[in-house]
Amino acid sequence: MDLHRVRRLATVLIASQLRSGRADSNPKSLFGQPVFIALVDVGLFLVAAAAGFAAVSAVRSPSAPPSSGTLLAAVANSVLPFLPLVGVGVVLVAGMMFELTTTTRFALSDAANWLPLGPAEYVAASTAAIAYTYSPAVALALGALFPVAVSVGQTPEFLLAAALSLLALVEGGFLIEMVRSVSQRAGTLAVGRGGRATVVVRAVLLLVVILALQLAFNPVLLYGFVERLRSAALVIAIVPFLWGTQALLELQAGQPAVAAGFALAEAGFAVLLLAIAARLRVRYWVPTSAEIRISSGDIARGHPWLAALGLNAPEAAVVSKDLRGLVRRREMLPALVVPFVLVVLLLVEGRSIGSFALVIWLGWVAGFFSLFLGAISVGQERRALQFLLATPIGPTGLFRAKVAALLIPTALTATVMAVAVGLYFGLGVEVLLGLVLLSLACAALLGLWGLAFAARFSDFQDRPRPQFLRPSAMLAATGSGMAILFSVVVPGAFALVGGGATLPALLVAALVALVFGGLAIFWARSGFVRLFRELPF
Amino acid sequence: MVMDALPSARPLGTGTTPTLQVEGVSKSYGSVQALHGVSFDVPPGQIVGLLGPNGAGKSTAMKAVLGLVRPEGGTIRLFGIDVLTDPPSAKRQIGYVPEAPSLYEFLTGMEYLDFVADMYGLDRAVRRERIAQFLIGLELSGHEDALISGYSQGMRQKVALIAALVHHPRLLVLDEPLNGLDPRSARVTKDLLRNLATHEGVAVLFSTHVLEIAQAICDRVIILHHGTVLASGTVEALQARSGLAGSGLEEVFLTLTGSGDLRDVVQALAR
Repeated sequence: MDLHRVRRLATVLIASQLRSGRADSNPKSLFGQPVFIALVDVGLFLVAAAAGFAAVSAVRSPSAPPSSGTLLAAVANSVLPFLPLVGVGVVLVAGMMFELTTTTRFALSDAANWLPLGPAEYVAASTAAIAYTYSPAVALALGALFPVAVSVGQTPEFLLAAALSLLALVEGGFLIEMVRSVSQRAGTLAVGRGGRATVVVRAVLLLVVILALQLAFNPVLLYGFVERLRSAALVIAIVPFLWGTQALLELQAGQPAVAAGFALAEAGFAVLLLAIAARLRVRYWVPTSAEIRISSGDIARGHPWLAALGLNAPEAAVVSKDLRGLVRRREMLPALVVPFVLVVLLLVEGRSIGSFALVIWLGWVAGFFSLFLGAISVGQERRALQFLLATPIGPTGLFRAKVAALLIPTALTATVMAVAVGLYFGLGVEVLLGLVLLSLACAALLGLWGLAFAARFSDFQDRPRPQFLRPSAMLAATGSGMAILFSVVVPGAFALVGGGATLPALLVAALVALVFGGLAIFWARSGFVRLFRELPF
Repeated sequence: MVMDALPSARPLGTGTTPTLQVEGVSKSYGSVQALHGVSFDVPPGQIVGLLGPNGAGKSTAMKAVLGLVRPEGGTIRLFGIDVLTDPPSAKRQIGYVPEAPSLYEFLTGMEYLDFVADMYGLDRAVRRERIAQFLIGLELSGHEDALISGYSQGMRQKVALIAALVHHPRLLVLDEPLNGLDPRSARVTKDLLRNLATHEGVAVLFSTHVLEIAQAICDRVIILHHGTVLASGTVEALQARSGLAGSGLEEVFLTLTGSGDLRDVVQALAR
C-alpha cells in the first residue's frame, strides 16, 4: 500500500465533500480546504471542554450538595467506555444517510475506477475521508468529557478512550465501504439481467441492511445495551466492536494489562476490517452498469387512480415517475428507513412510554418523515429539471404533482404506523382514530412545509452525493418545521389523551395547522412560479 | 431505407412568418455576458446551424428559446407570439435535446418515453405507434424495457432524441444532438431532420462542433462568438465573406473566430 497515494486520494475526497455543496463559491477559501475540518475539531473540543470545566466547577463548588462529587465519577465510569461506540455509531448512522446516497452513475464514473490504485488503497483513503469528515462529533464528545475525566483522575482512561474513538471512526468507515461495495453490486451485476422483482429485491435488501446497521449502532439502543452488558463479560469478549469498551472498563477496574490486550485486539480487528473491505471491493465492485429489465413490454395504460384524484395526464405522469423513483433510486432509500428506525426504537425502548408521549412521538415521526420527503422532492429532479421545465406542465401543474407525489406515500406511512403502534400499545378505537387523523395532519402540514423550502432552495447539482436541498435550508426547514410540528402535536396529544379541555386544545392544534399549512401552500406555489421563471442552474 | 421506418411530423400550414424570431436578446451571468444583442430567425423548413467556440453562448441561446433562461433584453417569438405570453403553449410546439440530456435513470426507456408523451398530452394509440417506429428506426428496439441506468451514452442520446420528436414539434432545438450516436443512427438522424424540414416544414435550430455535419445538413449557419453573432448566412456566403471560397466550413470558422493558424499551438503541444 502506497501511503502517499492514499493520503492524496483521501485529501481529494475530503475536499470533494467539503466543496460539494458550494459549487458557486471559491474553492480556495478556507471552508473548502480539508484543514477546515481539523479547525472545527479543535474549536469544538475547546468549546466543549470549556463548557465541561464550567460544569465541573459548578458541581465541585462549596454550595453544591455533598453527593455531587460522586456524580462526576459516575459520569466518567458510564460514559467514557461508551465513547468508542459513539465513533462507530456516528459514522454508520450519518454515513448510511449520506455516504450511501452516492448515485450509481457517479460511482461508476469515479476516477478511482481507472486510476492505478489498489483496492486496499482506495478503501483506506475513502475510509480516512469518511472518518475525518465525521470527526467533529467525536471531538465534541471528547471535549465535554475531558474535564470530567481529569477531575476524577481518569486521564489515562480518557486518552485511551480518545484513541479508541478515533479507531472506531475508522472501523465505521470500513463498514461503510463494505456496504458500499455490496450495494453497488446489488445495483448492477449481482442482479444480472433481472426483472421487476430485481428492483424490489434490491430495494428491500438495501433497506434491511441500512435498517439493521442504523439500529445496531443507534446511540439510544447502544447505551442501554452497554449498561446491560457491564456484567456480561463473555458477550463482550465475542463482539469485536465492544472490545474497545471492554478495554476502557478494564482500565477503570485497574487492569491495565487486560485493557491493553483488548485495545490491541480492537486495533487488530480494524486491520481485519480493512482486509475484508478491500476483498469485498475486489469481489463486488463493478465499474460497469448492468442492464436491468422491467418487462412491461408496452406503454402504460394510463394512471386511472391518479386521474381519480383529480390529476391531469402530465401531473399524473410526474406523480407516477416520482413514486417509481422513491423505490428504485438508491439515493432515496435511506430516507425510507427513517420511519422504520424511529418506530422500531419506540417499540424496543418505549414499552413503558405514556400515551401522551406516544401520541407526540408518532406525530413527530409522521411529520419528520414527511418534512424530509417534501424537502428533497424538487431537488431530486437534479439536472432533469431542465427537461421538466421545457415541457408544457407549468408551475401550478408541477406543484399539484409534487404535492400528490409527497402526500400519497407519507399519508400511507402515517396511517400504517399509527394503526400498527396503536394496536401494539392497545389504544382504544377513538384514540386510535384520533391518532391516525393527527398523524395525517402532521404528515400533510410538514410535507407542505418541506415542499415550500424545496421550491426555493433546492440543490440541483449533479454531484456524487446529491444533497437535494441546500444544507442551510435543510437546517432552517428542520428547525422551523419541528417548532410548527410541536405546536400542533402537543395540543393535539392533549386533546386526544390529555383528559380535559379537549375542545380548546383541538382548536389550538387546528388553528396552528391551518395557518402554517396555508402559509406553506402560498410559499410553495410562489416558489414553483419562481422556479419556472428561470432554470436555477 | 431507414427513413421509411421513422414517423414524420404533422404537415405545417404555409406562411411567411418565421417559426422562430430572436431579436436583440441579451443575457448575463454575473459579470459574464453570455449573450449580447443576439438576433436571428429560423424559418419553417430550414435547418439553421448554431456554431461557436465553447462558451460562445449557443446553449444559453437555445435555453432562452425554451424559456429556461430569462433574457434581460430582447424578445423571442414563436410563430410571431412572444414565448413568454403563454409558455406552456409555446413549449408544446418545441422539441428539445439539451447538450447533456439528463434522463430519469430509474425509469426504463419505454417508461421514460411514455412519461414524455404524457407530458405533451399525446394520444395513447398515436404514441404507441410513434414510439415503436422510433425504437425500430434508431435500433433501440429490444432495449426499451431496460432501466436507463444501464444504457450507453449513445442509447441515452437516442432516447433524448425520440423524446424531442415524439409529439410532432414544429420547432426542434437540438444542442449537439449527434453526440455519442453510432454512424448509422447519426445518419438516420441527419436524414430525418432533413426530411422533417423539407417535407413537413419543421424548423430546426441545431448546434454542433462537428463542422462537416453543419456544412452537410444546414441551410444556414450562425456563428456565435463571445455572445454576439459574428456571422450568419449560407456556407457559401460565409466562404465568400471570409475570402475562402471553396474551402471547408472549418477553415471559414477558424478564420472568422480568429483562431486560423494553429501550427504554433500544435507544435508546442507535440513537444
